[in-house]
Amino acid sequence: MDASHKHVKADCEALLARFQQTQSVRFEVFANIWREMKFSQIFRGVVKHEKRAFCHLVLNTAYCYFLPPFSFQIRVGGLYLLYSLYYTQTASPSEQIHLALKDWEEVKKFENNAIDAQHMDAVYILRHLMFCKAFRFTAMPTLLCFQTNKVKERSVLREEFIERASRPQELISSGLLEEMSNVSDLYENMKASVLSQMTTPGDSSFNLIRKDLVSQLSGTVQEFYNWQREKETFDENENSQEDTSQKVCSNRAELLASIKSKAFGEAPETLKSRRHRRVEMNSTTEASAALLNQGYTRILKQSLRKRTRDALLLSGDVQMESASHTRISLLATLDSASKKILKEERS
Amino acid sequence: MSLRAPLARKNMAESKQTPDANTGIPEYEYIDVNTKPFHVGSFRDEWLARLRPEDFSFQQEDEETFEANFAAEMGLGADTMAELKSACSIDSLRCHPEDEQLSMDDVPSNPRLKTLIQRKRKQERASSHNIHKNRHDFYADELERLTIGRPPEMGADRIPKGEVLLTINIYHPAVYEKFNFTRPCMTLLMTGSHTLTELRDAICCISDLQVCGEFSKTPDVAPDFISKDHFKSAFFFFEGVFYNDMRFPECQDISITTVEWAKAHNFPQYSQAKMEDTRFVDLKVKVGFPYLYCHQGECEHIIIITDVRLFHKTDCLDKNLYPLLTHKHRSLTQKCAVCHVFIARWYTTNDQFAPSDPCLFCDQCFRILHYDTEGNKLGQFFAFPYTDRGAFN
Repeated sequence: MDASHKHVKADCEALLARFQQTQSVRFEVFANIWREMKFSQIFRGVVKHEKRAFCHLVLNTAYCYFLPPFSFQIRVGGLYLLYSLYYTQTASPSEQIHLALKDWEEVKKFENNAIDAQHMDAVYILRHLMFCKAFRFTAMPTLLCFQTNKVKERSVLREEFIERASRPQELISSGLLEEMSNVSDLYENMKASVLSQMTTPGDSSFNLIRKDLVSQLSGTVQEFYNWQREKETFDENENSQEDTSQKVCSNRAELLASIKSKAFGEAPETLKSRRHRRVEMNSTTEASAALLNQGYTRILKQSLRKRTRDALLLSGDVQMESASHTRISLLATLDSASKKILKEERS
Repeated sequence: MSLRAPLARKNMAESKQTPDANTGIPEYEYIDVNTKPFHVGSFRDEWLARLRPEDFSFQQEDEETFEANFAAEMGLGADTMAELKSACSIDSLRCHPEDEQLSMDDVPSNPRLKTLIQRKRKQERASSHNIHKNRHDFYADELERLTIGRPPEMGADRIPKGEVLLTINIYHPAVYEKFNFTRPCMTLLMTGSHTLTELRDAICCISDLQVCGEFSKTPDVAPDFISKDHFKSAFFFFEGVFYNDMRFPECQDISITTVEWAKAHNFPQYSQAKMEDTRFVDLKVKVGFPYLYCHQGECEHIIIITDVRLFHKTDCLDKNLYPLLTHKHRSLTQKCAVCHVFIARWYTTNDQFAPSDPCLFCDQCFRILHYDTEGNKLGQFFAFPYTDRGAFN
């Protein structure tokens, strides 16, 4: 089951990468890719007693793409993937999607973002899943069994899926800039009034701060944002396909606009929670790496028969004879019967 | 003056972090290993505060009502709603023509998905090796088949909505050489309103059935002395609290030795409570972290709570069936040395009739070999009643 986890993840990422390239968040686009890849075949060929465990694994793998730190489009793709997998699964009665309590806020924020951006299909699908009771409300997304023995490869999140860094924009918000300019004006006034009373006003040791700090700061952040956008459009122009319709472009523009407005707006708390989790991840990987023993790897030995066969260097006729049936019983059979057996053997 | 300022800032920073031991929101302590401790009752309240009643009820809403409400909330017209519904329909996910009946048991030819390629390879390898189905796979979903999909009970026997379900793994005793911490001996489902004594009664351990003593002279008296009836004391250990079973007058507090030792050796203070008064919703636990169950004075099992969640309509909703067994490990049984058919019930040492020392016998072969027709003991031997590990299969 661990080996198939890697492959399931690779398949999901292939699907989401193609979805990302279409630069759309429509369900029809997703369904097209799904049909093209014949993704519902992923459930075929599972042994009866492993069906439920496999469905659980597949839903769990898809679930992580629905949460931050992935970009909005990937999260929408993750939601569509969950919806499709839930309805095409073969376990009966269906296996549910485990929704952890700590992820509830993120899901609600996602829903509100989608409503604001009027992505009705995403909202409808999310509400439909809630309506069909596809979620199990759990403490944690997976079953935890204190498995420190298995050296799990910390899955590296795919770079292209992660939301573009917008920390500078969110730190330096308009409210903060206003406050900073107020404080710097106050400081300048106080300094001027103090200096006017002193004997040596022209002393350069009094120039401790940068002049025009606020305007410089906002200029730098704007430059960074423009550079990011340019870089992204440049990358997209390299990878884009020939027939990107105007409608899709405008869709993306309004998507970016909604995210940009949020970035420059109030909400630093989204990033705070995300950042908190990132820090947590880093520190705990170090801690758990220290905890973990040397990985327990299972060495599969070849069967004794195979090892014997490989060890013995048989040549030519001897090898052929050793591979076939013995012919000692032919000593006790009649000539005619033994000739028949030999003929059958040769044919 | 300057020294005080950084301290003040540090205190401010600390007070900003919300203490999540008090809130019921579980967070990872070590990712994919276990969580920090949280209170089960608060966890339930947090979920119920966030959900609407219809989200966690067991009844299915009417689809037309759902669509009408959705359209009203989003301000969509009837046409738009119909268009949206058809765009998001599951039919668009079908990967094969409608009239084609496909068997879901075969891997398709020319697979493109990596999962399918690997599965096909595994199947080919398995068929070439002619591996026989083992008993673990054969019975893997036996218990599940009995309970999943049962029609929900009505009335007083039904689990109330919003109840919490805990999945608990119980492992083999520490003295076992195999599967000590990897394979659970059994997996139980418990509800939040169950007490710890109900969990204790549901745990089957063969050391409870063992009989102490040598019975070669009186083989018929043996079954009256089961250990479970003699040594009734037991305790659970969760998050620094020992929960003792005090239901019966014979029960003693066997955790007191550990508590006093800890006091004498500068360990953090442990406290004690009663098992029969504690329900699961009152507990503060970590999910995925090993805890202890000790009975018979020395038989210790590790217990891990693997999941805590709200009840769902597909779960078994019959209160009488809980604690519910969902997984049981099947051990190999030791058979009689004579007939190789029946499971061994007697264990003999210093036996002049036995081929090995020690030796196992089933009841019939034991009596035939060691006793005459009147029931008198023949020869020299010591006989002990033997409980096989596979007694609960």
